[in-house]
Amino acid sequence: MAASGCRGVRSILWKYGSYGKNLFVSRSKMVPQLPLRQIYVASSLWKKNLAAAGPQKFTQEFIDKQVEEFEVGKRHLANMMGEDPETFTQEDIDRSIAYLFPSGLFEKRARPVMKHPEEIFPKQTAIQWDAEGRPFHFLFYTGKQSYYSLLHDVYEKILAIERHQDKMRNKGLFTSDTKQILLTGSRWLLKEEIEENLVENISVQDYMRLIQLMELLLSMPYCSLEEEFILKFRKQLEVQSSKYEIPALQYDPQGVAFSVADGRRKSAKASITLRDSGSGNITINGRNYLHYFPVLQNREQLMFPLLFVGMMGRFDIEGSVEGSGHSAQAGALRLAISRALLSFVSEGEVEKMRQAGLLTADPRIRERKKPGQEGARKKFTWKKR
Amino acid sequence: MAASVRHLLKPWTPSLCLVRWSRYNSYYLDPDPSKDARVPDSELSPEQKELQELKTVRRIKAALSSDTSSPFSDPLMSKFINMMMQDGSKILARGIMTQPREEIECSPHSVFQQALENCKPIIGLASVQKGGKSYQVPVPLTDNRRGFLAMKWMITECRDNKHRRTHMYEKLSQELLAAFANEGNVVKRKHDLHRMAEANRAYAHYRWW
Repeated sequence: MAASGCRGVRSILWKYGSYGKNLFVSRSKMVPQLPLRQIYVASSLWKKNLAAAGPQKFTQEFIDKQVEEFEVGKRHLANMMGEDPETFTQEDIDRSIAYLFPSGLFEKRARPVMKHPEEIFPKQTAIQWDAEGRPFHFLFYTGKQSYYSLLHDVYEKILAIERHQDKMRNKGLFTSDTKQILLTGSRWLLKEEIEENLVENISVQDYMRLIQLMELLLSMPYCSLEEEFILKFRKQLEVQSSKYEIPALQYDPQGVAFSVADGRRKSAKASITLRDSGSGNITINGRNYLHYFPVLQNREQLMFPLLFVGMMGRFDIEGSVEGSGHSAQAGALRLAISRALLSFVSEGEVEKMRQAGLLTADPRIRERKKPGQEGARKKFTWKKR
Repeated sequence: MAASVRHLLKPWTPSLCLVRWSRYNSYYLDPDPSKDARVPDSELSPEQKELQELKTVRRIKAALSSDTSSPFSDPLMSKFINMMMQDGSKILARGIMTQPREEIECSPHSVFQQALENCKPIIGLASVQKGGKSYQVPVPLTDNRRGFLAMKWMITECRDNKHRRTHMYEKLSQELLAAFANEGNVVKRKHDLHRMAEANRAYAHYRWW
């Protein structure tokens, strides 16, 4: 700003010729031999360079051109792959690019990619001041104009809700039990996500202040008026139980339903066939489970999913397991039985099984031995000297 | 509590140096293998309701190999077995624990629970350094710590102070019966601790936590 002001002054000095030369302090950047009688140049012409050097590196026209090229390229790609250009989705694009340009690079981000320019070019702020140098937004000089204008908006909404409350009170219609916004299964946007939306950097305290204001908004009785505004700042978390793949129920030639599932624990691999209308026999690797697992704990583990669901005597289990030790084999079998049971059980039960910990594959493995130590945790004898 | 539960909804980002680390990141919640332990929805406090809702969106750890949904499994018993286990031989430890069944007649389960209750100290001692000297300061104990001390004393006493030729399960059953009747070495140790705490109560104000 100071430089531009100086240059504006400089141009006026040059206009007034000789005495300007005496007052002027020479700089290395200055072109020494300009004619005395120079036509006055508007200061805005000097300022063009500053704006270009600022945050915006891609102009809007450039991005629009990229978007056009992307659309055209998408249609070409669809034609190349022999598919319908109208219904060519991003997943199809990814698949086609992976097929046409197979890459063995380990870094996924280094592989060839074709995505919409919105996702490739980072969002930037447009130029925030006009040709005169006057900023457009009234909060420009705060440094974080989008953030502070957002705070202003939230506060406006709080005031509006208070006014609404007062109106209801005057009419005598004020109640505290109004429709509450459902916040279950969602979380506040993270600081990084908000920064992405605002295209500005904010500090941790700023973020906390914003969340405090939103919570204040939420605490008011009539907050449901601003529901969609608030939900813009909440991200939905997916319900976990939908993530489990239920094995398909197959039918025997005799009409008996059965399902097949696998399970793993620690390097033991198990495969289970669960047959309906049985009498509770369990056969593992061709032997009865009493012979195969003499330890009570392992047999308890086999029965755990069936007991939990309450279908103890209903199924015949035929399993094969290999690898690792007896306890890990029992764990692998338990996981396989739970997964096979999913096809016989209702949705609510699936969630209950998940919360009991039956459907999670146990990730624990033997911890490695570290150099300089006896084992994974045990250290060598500590000698003082 | 509500604020802390909401805080748990943030996704997990790994912090830098994980020294004592587990294969699960802190995003995972602990499982609850008990069957039909559900209180109907109307009786839940709002915090418990939030916790329930949190459970539907968070991942849950796998159930341990020693947990079952049967009513015969007892978390206290499992803890005791783990503490008695040496070098990872759970089979042996569990065998020792299940054997006293033949010796104890009336409801060994409740005898075990009551005996451990009788061994739990109410107040403990902590060493606090002040002015160059360390003092034993009486300090309140958490429930976990009390249970742990009771079990530890029981196991140590059974291992050390008995005749060499008797089996562990015999020693255990004798000690448990004695503790159930408020006699025996473990209960004596608890009383000693209480007496020391009473003697040192002048230093109680040295505790700052």
